[in-house]
Amino acid sequence: MTAAITDVPDNEPLLETRALGFYRQDEPVFMSLNFRLHIGELGLIEGDNGSGKTTLMRILAGLLHVDEGELHWRGKPLQRDQCLGEMLFLGHQLGLKADLSPSENLRIALGLHGHRIQTSVTSALAEVGLSGYEDEPVRRLSAGQKKRAALAKLLLLPAALWLLDEPYANLDRTGIALVNRFLQEHLARGGAALVTTHGAVSFHGGEAQRIRMHA
Amino acid sequence: MSRPGLITACAAMLRRDLTLAWRRRGDIAMPVLYALIVTMLFPFALGPEDTLLQRIAGGVVLVTILLAMLLALDAMFSSDIEDGSLEQLVLAPQPLALMLAMKILAHWLTTALPLIVISPLLAGMLHLPTSVMPVLVLALLLSTPMLSLLGAILVALTAGTRRSGMLLALMLLPLCVPVVIFAAGAVAASQQGLPWLAPIAWLGAALVLLLVLAPLACAAALRIALDA
Repeated sequence: MTAAITDVPDNEPLLETRALGFYRQDEPVFMSLNFRLHIGELGLIEGDNGSGKTTLMRILAGLLHVDEGELHWRGKPLQRDQCLGEMLFLGHQLGLKADLSPSENLRIALGLHGHRIQTSVTSALAEVGLSGYEDEPVRRLSAGQKKRAALAKLLLLPAALWLLDEPYANLDRTGIALVNRFLQEHLARGGAALVTTHGAVSFHGGEAQRIRMHA
Repeated sequence: MSRPGLITACAAMLRRDLTLAWRRRGDIAMPVLYALIVTMLFPFALGPEDTLLQRIAGGVVLVTILLAMLLALDAMFSSDIEDGSLEQLVLAPQPLALMLAMKILAHWLTTALPLIVISPLLAGMLHLPTSVMPVLVLALLLSTPMLSLLGAILVALTAGTRRSGMLLALMLLPLCVPVVIFAAGAVAASQQGLPWLAPIAWLGAALVLLLVLAPLACAAALRIALDA
């Protein structure tokens, strides 16, 4: 995958939106949204509650259809079957089964998505600060610990583009630093990321492209 | 690094759903107990008359198992939608229909298989002759997967709605009519000493058709449910 990433010419954006718009019952959620995200770049999607940050994320991930405008992936119109597994979406719902332990949850994700690097599930969980909780059912973890378990996916799964919807929610200060470190490492590795935030907490390392959403 | 193969992904899905079912083994016992109690009610209601019970045994066991399966059907995708696992499954680089087929298989293994195991006991309580039991079990082995597959389509279609349980029953039961007719027909034919292979063959053919089409329909319905 790393090779594939470097093949792309530097000027060609990984993801580009052209006049993207989305409507809910004929009411525009957002309209004519244009941005380009290059490799090694972080996009911060900012906006108030209800401004359509999550909706945008779900459209980019492929859960919602595009109402208006175009999406381009690596310079070509985006085809979902050609960028399978290249995007990793982490939403409000973490996608963890409450009856399974964090390590079981991660192993399932690995079975579906594949391994990026030879990091073991145990060491990934240790890195997000969940050592000792590997075999505890997720239902017994706190909201922040659940979030950390979901963040361990970022370490294990392969993807060029991370779509993180409110990754800082429920996290303490060390957790926020952890997300920022993961993001920096991902960008340095030749990935890209889009992160939604309502401005309270934001990325502190390096320059980020700010994408403003208007309600 | 490469995308995991289909077999790895299927195994991961199947293991996931079976582990989840095992963590909640009490839920597996519910439909079994339900079927036992319902079958027990018939001799109480109709009297312990051998010939009458023998005549209705096949049909009663089939319908009871159908209703017992209906109890557990509702939960097939609901928890996955609630906790976001379904979103992750849709976004995973694997064919969604195949992954859902694994979920349906796991569901069949955990709800229908225990019912099939106790079906000779249920039939015995209604004095069904032992010679007919193999045909009954065969008919159940072919008809219960069809109920799981048909049910899965309807669960996927009603995924977005609240209180879908009753709606599900109202939609599924009419679709089950052909399944019940052929399955009960095979049991009745065998009981009267007639050839029973034709209805069984019909059940098999319908099952093959559903095996191919139902996961595709489920995948399409769930994608629509999420796109809202």
